[in-house]
Formats: sequence, structure tokens, C-alpha cells
Amino acid sequence: MSQSVAAGRHKMTKQEKRNTLVAYSFLAPNFIGFIIFTMIPVVFSIVLSFLNWSGGSNITWAGLDNFAYIFKDFSFSKSNLGIALKNTVFYTVATVPLTIAFALGLALVLNKAVKGANFFRSVFFFPYVASLVAICVCWNFLLMKTGPINQILNAFGANMTKSWTSSRDLAIWAIIIVSVWRNAGYYMVMYLAGLQGVPGELYEAATMDGANGWQKFWKITMPMLTPTTFFVSIMMIISCFKIYDVVAIMTQGGPGRATKMLVTYIFELSFGGEMISTTAQYGVASAVSMVLLAIVLTVTFIQFRAEKKWVNYL
Amino acid sequence: MKKLLSIVLCLTMMASCVAFAAAEGTTTLTVAGWDTATAPYYEAVKTAYEAANPGVTIEWVDLASQEYNVKASTMLAGGDTTDIFFVKELSDMQNWAKEGFIVDMNDKIASTSYDMSKYAGMDTCYQLAGTTDYYALPFRADFWVLFYNKTLFDKASVEYPTNDMTWDAYKDLAIKMTGDGVYGTHYHTWLSAVANWAVCDGVNTLADGEYSDLKYFYQMVQDLEDAGACMTYDELKAANLHYSGAFAQGNIAMMPMGYWYASTLIGYIKDGTADFDWGITAVPHLDGVAAGSSFGSPTGLAVNAKSANADAAWDFVAWACGEEGAKAVAATGTRPAYVSEEVATVMAAADGFPTDDASMAALLPTAISLEWPVGDGVNDIKTIVNEEHSLIMTRELSIDEGVAEMEERAAEFIKK
Amino acid sequence: MSTIASPKRESHVTAAKVVLTILKYALLLLFTAIALVPFIWMLSSSLKTSTDVFSIPMKWIPDTFHWENYTQIWQKVPLLTYFENTTYVAIIVTIMQILTSSFAAYAFAKMQFKGRDFLFMCYIGTIAVPWQVYMVPQFIMMRSIGLYDTIWSLVVLQSFSAFGVFLMRQFYLGIPGELSEAARIDGLNEYGIWARIILPLAKPAIATLAIFTFVNTWNDYMGPMIYLTSDLNKTIQVGLRRFIQAFSADYNLIMAASLCSLIPVSIVFLCLQKYFIEGIATTGLKG
Repeated sequence: MSQSVAAGRHKMTKQEKRNTLVAYSFLAPNFIGFIIFTMIPVVFSIVLSFLNWSGGSNITWAGLDNFAYIFKDFSFSKSNLGIALKNTVFYTVATVPLTIAFALGLALVLNKAVKGANFFRSVFFFPYVASLVAICVCWNFLLMKTGPINQILNAFGANMTKSWTSSRDLAIWAIIIVSVWRNAGYYMVMYLAGLQGVPGELYEAATMDGANGWQKFWKITMPMLTPTTFFVSIMMIISCFKIYDVVAIMTQGGPGRATKMLVTYIFELSFGGEMISTTAQYGVASAVSMVLLAIVLTVTFIQFRAEKKWVNYL
Repeated sequence: MKKLLSIVLCLTMMASCVAFAAAEGTTTLTVAGWDTATAPYYEAVKTAYEAANPGVTIEWVDLASQEYNVKASTMLAGGDTTDIFFVKELSDMQNWAKEGFIVDMNDKIASTSYDMSKYAGMDTCYQLAGTTDYYALPFRADFWVLFYNKTLFDKASVEYPTNDMTWDAYKDLAIKMTGDGVYGTHYHTWLSAVANWAVCDGVNTLADGEYSDLKYFYQMVQDLEDAGACMTYDELKAANLHYSGAFAQGNIAMMPMGYWYASTLIGYIKDGTADFDWGITAVPHLDGVAAGSSFGSPTGLAVNAKSANADAAWDFVAWACGEEGAKAVAATGTRPAYVSEEVATVMAAADGFPTDDASMAALLPTAISLEWPVGDGVNDIKTIVNEEHSLIMTRELSIDEGVAEMEERAAEFIKK
Repeated sequence: MSTIASPKRESHVTAAKVVLTILKYALLLLFTAIALVPFIWMLSSSLKTSTDVFSIPMKWIPDTFHWENYTQIWQKVPLLTYFENTTYVAIIVTIMQILTSSFAAYAFAKMQFKGRDFLFMCYIGTIAVPWQVYMVPQFIMMRSIGLYDTIWSLVVLQSFSAFGVFLMRQFYLGIPGELSEAARIDGLNEYGIWARIILPLAKPAIATLAIFTFVNTWNDYMGPMIYLTSDLNKTIQVGLRRFIQAFSADYNLIMAASLCSLIPVSIVFLCLQKYFIEGIATTGLKG
């Protein structure tokens, strides 16, 4: 497998061949497990999008029928795929920048000499660790009609008469708030680790040159953090596109279809949602996931293309 | 250490298989269900069956209740050899039957001349759609009744609800009982608790694409919410409030709920979680619909096509869904699908069940419609109706708008 | 640890700096409050009776403290067994993940070879496919090789994830190329460079990966739910979810159990967190 990928186009020199062999020896322990347990099922699921399959031995060729089914009467306000796409993109566009801003801000502050930094780091990581069900129950309560958050908002003159999860406009924001709250600490840890890679000498030199804190941030910290930001943004975009569990627990995609996401839709097609029964349309579910895959790969590909331009590696 | 343990486990399992082959007549049947440790009827069935059939051991395979269909479908697709599966959703069974995961029971039914007449019509939904082939037998059949808190009615000196009551009378009663921290009634957030009543007439179904018959019920619930006679959908959703705890608090006068709640409530009274007298009546009815009409859905037992003990498995299923199994189930306060006077007597004699005549009479409904019919496109319609239900209940759409959207979106899936 | 707080700073202490410092702590405390409010609510709920949990107006401090909730959960669910199982799986997965990822990432970050970018895109691509889609095919495969209902199914599922490789690659890329060049000139082969140069420098990354892997394995629900069936094998999240479904009304007990499940992961975090801070500066790197 590995050789067939590596071979080709032009003849390799001995050195190159050796290098490739060594490289594959590095990859092998992870790669073999990865191929068997992830790659093969994933490839099967790609093929599945062109098949009719409900889990048994009846497999028939569907051609593009599954895609025709999900794209039928496509519109962002009516069809399931359109609504799921719109919600997922909205959620991603709101969640990614907010999370990065909080994660980076917290990491920068806590990377410096702050009294009780250990305490703060642990506190901000806490939300990620807690059991999701308990967290969602709790936020549902905080965001309910007569809950503390609405009370505070009303005290400031807002007119909140509904629970957030019962409103078509606010339900998705409830999901966003919980996601940002939960993940900011997680990505903060990543940024903290990234900040350790910034050599102190750079700052010392800059200080000698009379640079102020703001300049140091933009000229040293940010550029030196680009590999982390690159990783964080790709991982976050992918995981936002795959958002499922928070929605499943907090809103079940509702009210109506206000928080129906791509994976919620995929899950409904494969196993049914809450109160909804199995339909086992694995082929159709797979077709939806191909749409998701195409979007994510395009975004990731663009980021990789741009990587050389904006990501600084030492 | 754990690895060792798993190896030892594997070995013992293999050994037990070998032992089974050697020592003729000892069979272990594995049965996949949910809440097998907490719901009392599992143990009752196991004990009774093992006593009647020495040499057979029943072993429950406990799957998470909320993810039962995901896990069971995955297991069956993966070629799991668990002998028997509970059927939680009718549409699951349809798919399992189509894919050949579960056994066609027609031959067995014919060769043992199994009596299918005792299920009050509930058996036909276990036929593969469009055929007369049975793939499961009905085991439990829960229908909806009205639970009420006798202590609250006594305190307010109001007469108890009766087995023959219209929805209008029920609404007045609920408002009458409201006040002093008491809610007249309680609706869980499900579609079935709020609007499924429209199918009780035996004519309408929720998959017929015509939903104006739901308007009356939505209007009634919204009026009751506005009058403060029940907690609002919004509150219940946000607080994830479960009906079982809500009614057990003792400040709710009435609650329409599935009969399965009786055994939970009996348990609550026993362990002190709830402290009041209660009773049940038939659910209210519309003018022109017979009193005692209700809806419900059955739970069935199916045999895995990959089972190594197919004959023994059929024996168990036939027994559990028959009169003997029904009695064992009924004795725990749960309603079996198999109905007869005798079984109803056992059910009413269950420890902790209210002893008044009205409650006993409520155990024998005049007609039970299916909560959801079976057929192509029903799953899609179910999704749509549930989605619009949440919009109406959160008042994001008016009742008319919501019903109109239901009809518009469901039209695509209605067979012309 | 502090790269910016140089000795010169003290001479510049002005009113503006004091205000800034106060502002900084005020902000930190505000965020701390936001991060902790739900936990405080959980704690307070776990000490109430089940009927008081959602009472309105809400009480942050219960009238009477029901400490017995915490003893009750240990009687109602075998939490200890769940803890043991999960810890066992999480430790194996974490070790495997760190070993294989840190090894594979070296090839992606520091070596030139044919097919590198294509393979890397394959790794990323699989992250983008939702697990729900290939769950059934994967299950069929796992069953056919006899790993179903053993905790080894979870180990093989999570030990070779693309996430770890990607994370380690990014950190390796941040390590100056001159270091490995110099080592190569000194006669070290690639394995030597990985073991002696790169790995020691990647401590913060390894600590990060360890924490993330441990936490994710600890909190995984769907994996154990699908792949484990026997009672002996249940993990904490499956146990917790079971508990929630069985005692759906007893939110006080649910909150108590959830808080208990937090403790082991918190300990792991506290133990590992000093490694993020122990920066490259202290490992003696001179760029």
C-alpha cells in the first residue's frame, strides 16, 4: 500500500528511497492501526453513499439516487439538508472566532506571571472535563424563562419572555454559548503549550529595541503562534461541522428545525432521533456526510494552501 | 489484570458452551432488553419461565434504554448472536424483518397452532408491512390512562374523575383543581401526551396527512397553560423535568400517561418518594367517541436469525407472550399484551394497585388504537409532526400555522 | 516562566500599570465565575432533595444539606467498578496514542518523502467524517475479529487517531530545523534525532496530548455504548448515562454522580499541567 503511493512519476534516487523507507517506518505503528480501524470503514462509508443499504445483506447500487434524494427541492428554508447546512455553517462561523478569542486571551494572560495561575488554568479547563449531560441540564436551567440569565438581562432592560431553547432565534445561541464556554479552556491549553515554544530571547531582544507590549504581541507572539492557530482553527472548524452531542441533549434539533445540524440529520437518517424511529437509510446518511466531507476538505485544503503564506515555522 | 480477567471470561464462556453441548438439556437463552435491572417484570418472567422449564436459563442483556434502537440495530447488523431481542419500536422491527435479521414466525405459529386472537388486534402490527408474515409476538401493550391524585381531590372535596368523561369536562375539572400550589393536570412534552388523542376514534391516524383534528387538543393544552392549570412546555423542556418525578411530588391532580407508569408509581409509594393515594380512569373522550377508547403501542419479542437456539428461543417467546407469561408480567403491575379476564384480575391484584372499582374497570379499555401506524414514509412523517409539535408548543407558531405546516410538509410522503 | 516580566519592569510601575493589573485580575475573576457558575449550581443541586432542584425562585444554598445523596449514589451504582474500567482503558489509550502519534508525526513534520501530503490529507479527511456514518461498518469489522464486548475494541479504536498525529506534527514544526540538522551532522540517524532531540523538546505537546486523550477517553459515551455490553466492562460515562435514564427524576443524585466523575480527570490535569509551563526556555534550547 505504502509503496504504491510513494512510487511513481520519476525514479527515486537511492537516498530518497532510503528516506522514504525510514519515513514509513516512523508512520507504520500508527498507520497500520489507522488503516484498519478507521480508513477502511471510512472508505466503505464513501462507497456507501452510492448504495442502498440498511445493514443487512441486501446491497444494491443506487448511483446518484441518494444525492438526488437529499438535494431534492433544495432550499435553505425548507429542505432538511438546506436547513441543516445553514444552521451548521452559522454555528461554525459564530463559534470558531469566539472560542479562539477567549482561548488565546486566557492563554496569554495565564502565560505571564499571574498569582494563582495554576488555579485559573484548572478552573478554565474544568468545563471541558465535566460530563456533558450534567452540563447541558445545568445550562438549560440557567437559560430558562425565569432562570438567572434572563433575570439579569431583564434587569438591564431586555424583554426575555422565553427559555432560550424554546425560541427559534435563540436556541442556536444557547448551543453556541455552551460550546464556547466548554471549549475555550480546551483550546487555551493548546495555546499555552504553543506559547512555550516561543523563545524568550525574542522578547528580550525586542525589549532592548524599545518595543512595547502591544508591538511585541503583534510582531512576536502572534506570528510565533501561527502553527498553533493553524491547528486550532482546522480542528475547530471540523469539530464544529460535526456538532452533535450538545444539540442532541439540549434541543434535539428543535424547536422545529431551528438547531438541526448536519450530523443531527445524519443520525436521524441512520438511527432516528429522540422520539423518532429507525429508518436505517445508511446510504442516504452517507451521502449527507459526503456533503459535510466535501465542505470540510475544501476549507482545510484552502487553509493548507495558505499555510505557507501565513504560518511561520522556525 | 483486566486482560487476564477477559481471557478467563472468554475461557469460561467457551467452557460453558462446551458444557452445554455435553450436558444435554441445559440451554442458556440471551435476551436483549432495556432497564432489565430496574423494571420488575423481567425478573418475574425469568423466574416463572425457569421454574416451568428446568434446564433453560434466561440471561438478560441490558442495553441503554434511550439508545436501544441504535445499539440493537447495530448488533443485529453486526451478526450478533443474542437469541432474542425486544422490539421497542415497530419501525425497527419492519427493518429487521426486511433485512432478514429476525426470524419469520409463521411456520411456528402454524405448527403449534398458536392462538393469535388474544391480543385485541395488537398482533397485526408485527406483520411485515404488506404481508401476513409475523416476525414478532406482542409481549407488553401499554395504553394511556388518566392518573389522578385522590388525596388532592379529597382535600378539595371535588369528585374523582370518572371512566366516562369528555375532554371538555376534564378541562373544567383541571381548572377547578388548580390553585394553592396545585396544578390541575400535567402534560409531558411528548406529542403522544398532548395531541395523540385524536387517534382514539379509531379512524384518524397521525400519518394520514390531515391534522386539523389535532387543533382541539392543542387549543385545550394552551388554554390550560394560560390558566396556570399545568406547567408550560417551555418550563418542562428547560428543566428537563421528567413526568415521573413531577407527579410524584404530589401537587398535580391529574396526569394522562401510559399505563407503564403504574408500576413506577407503586414503587415510589413503597419507597416513600411519593406519599398520597392515587387511582386511574380511562382517558377522557371526545363527544361521539366511545368512552374507554385509548391508544397505545406494543412491545414485542423477536428471535434473532443468527440464534443458535432458534427452537428454544421460539419456546420462550411463545410462553412469555402467552397466558403464563402474561400472568407473570401482570403480577408486577405491568400490562401484558395478552388480555383475558384472568389476566386483568391478576393485574388488579398487583401489590400496591388501587383497589377501587373504577380503577379496575379502567384496565379493560373498549378500544385501543395504534399510537403510530406502520408503513412506508411513516418515519418521515413522524419526524415532521414532532418538529411542528415543538413549534406549536413553544408558541413559535400559532396552532393554525403549525398544523398547516404539518400538512404541507407531510403531503410529500402521503401515498396517493 | 515569565518571559515578559523582566527586571526592568519594576522601574516603570505607574498608576496605569496598577489599574491594568487590577483590571486583569477583575477579568480573570469574572471568567472564573462564569466558568464555575454551572458547577456551583451542580454542587448546590447535589445537596438538595430531588424536588427542590428546579424550584423557582432558585436557591443557591439549600435549606438543609443532604450529604446522604453522596453516599446513596455509591449504593445505587457500582461507581468504583466504572472508575476502574475507565481508568484502565484511558491509561492504555493515552500511552498508545502518545507513542504512535509522536513517532508518526516525526515523519510528517521533519522528513521529505513521496506521498507525504496525500497521506496527511487522508488523515485529516477521516477526522472530517462523522463517526455515526461508519459506525455500523466498523462494528461489523470489529465483531468479526472478535474484539466486540472487550475493552480492547476501545483501545484499538482510539489509539490510532489522526488527531494525535496532527497535534504532534504542529508542535514538531515549531521546533527549529537547525537543531535536527546539527544532530544529523553529528552523525545521529533519524531515530536518534527523534529520541534525543525532538522528544525532550516536545514535553508540553506530549502533556497536552496526554490530557486531551485521557479526557476524551474518559468522557467518551458512544464508543463504549456500542462496543461494550457486559456489565463487567462498563465505563463511567455509560454508567452515568444509565444512572440518568434509570433515575431520570433524581437530578440531585445525577449531579452528585457527575461531580464525582469529575475528580479523577481533574487529578490528571493537575498532575500534568506543570509540563505546559515548563517551557522550551528551561530545556536549554538556544534558537
